[in-house]
Amino acid sequence: MYPRMKARTKAALQPFADWLEERTSLISFGQKALYEPVPTRGRWLYTLGSATLFLITLQFLTGILLLFYYAPTTDHAWDSIYYTMHEAYFGRLIRGIHFWSANFLVAVIGLHMMRTFISGSYKAPRELNWLVGVLLIFIVAIMAFSGYALRWDQEGFYAWEVGIKIGSYSPVVGDWVSTFLLGGDTAGPATLSRVFAIHVWLLPAALAPLIGVHLFLLRLHGQFGSAFEYSERLAKLRKTRQVRELSEEEDVPQEELEKELEE
Amino acid sequence: MSEEELNKEPLTRAQFLWLGSLGSVMAAVLTIPPVVYLLSPSIKHQFGGRSDVPDGWVELGSVFEVPGGEPKVYRVEFPQDQTYDYEPDEGEIVEAVMVTWKDGQVPSVLGGGRRTLSPAETEELSHDLNVKSNACAHLGCPVRWFPDRHQFLCPCHGGIYDINGRVVGGPPPKNLWSYVFEVREDGAIYVKHEFIGGEPWVV
Repeated sequence: MYPRMKARTKAALQPFADWLEERTSLISFGQKALYEPVPTRGRWLYTLGSATLFLITLQFLTGILLLFYYAPTTDHAWDSIYYTMHEAYFGRLIRGIHFWSANFLVAVIGLHMMRTFISGSYKAPRELNWLVGVLLIFIVAIMAFSGYALRWDQEGFYAWEVGIKIGSYSPVVGDWVSTFLLGGDTAGPATLSRVFAIHVWLLPAALAPLIGVHLFLLRLHGQFGSAFEYSERLAKLRKTRQVRELSEEEDVPQEELEKELEE
Repeated sequence: MSEEELNKEPLTRAQFLWLGSLGSVMAAVLTIPPVVYLLSPSIKHQFGGRSDVPDGWVELGSVFEVPGGEPKVYRVEFPQDQTYDYEPDEGEIVEAVMVTWKDGQVPSVLGGGRRTLSPAETEELSHDLNVKSNACAHLGCPVRWFPDRHQFLCPCHGGIYDINGRVVGGPPPKNLWSYVFEVREDGAIYVKHEFIGGEPWVV
């Protein structure tokens, strides 16, 4: 029963898939993006990048939801968060996911970076991807720090103050960094506006395309693994694809073709 | 392709200069306005000397109420222009100002109780008074007075200051910031949002 249903469903959807493929190449792109060989050793360690991407997506989604209630003013920032937590339905859950996934994100990125370093995946030709990754870590760190200040409570305020003070110690540009981040020479409404703009618009706008570049370079060079392991696995993958295509063209069962090739 | 065609310059020097100039102008037109827009508070402050807090004196309290051996902490509201209101000085920035006597010793001049002070007395009292910001000189966290230790301690990274605001331990690179202040003939202490020897950011 099940194979017949599967075949019928496939047949019914095939025209739509063909139509979409002809116009967007989405199906072949999806296949190319999803069916990529990965090293056989340390399988789970290679999921840390995907986990990072999942957590960042979660940040974007919950962040957008939080924006529906958050007020970026010194008078109302904390009150609006309090409202989200205590009055809005599921507000505590949404903010909790945003808060905890941000914490996990920093930890998972640390592990991802450690795996990349220990497995030597930063070596040629993947150096550029390592650099993009380092940039991404910086952006995520600033995002985490600026998110802290958006609460505008004692903890967040003084954390941001300490951050600005650290920035003020920068050689030559220290004063410029401080006044830029403060929006003046004292902490006030302009400071919160700036933190908000940085956290909600500037950094996500920088993060999204860099994630794209990171993934593109990953697919271009593949996951790190030995050349032998790769060539063997790639050859097997190509052979399987060829056999499948031939079996479809010739209308011969795949098993028979495989047997013939072996003989 | 003929030899003449191959030897032909793909771009003449004049074209190169023209394109370069045009490119520079376009790059400047596209980048300068947004950069200046973002940096306008810094530019106003660095080049125009503008501060968010208007120049002016704010009354703290009286020298007669500052005790010996411990600080008197005042909560001061300075007017602040860093708001988007139409009315000037509508905003405010609240700061804690800590006032102590040098080494915690009340000057003998104050022995006679509340009265009008002579210019010589106000000068002497100004000399003996510490008017300090509670922002740690390390990274700006608020310091607090611990009577049992007779010291100011910073909760963030362990900065320690004595009653005069002098750093005696921990990471602070300098003493607590001193406000510009004056003592008037009725004994009132007035402060400005200005600091001796620099500007403590974020206060």
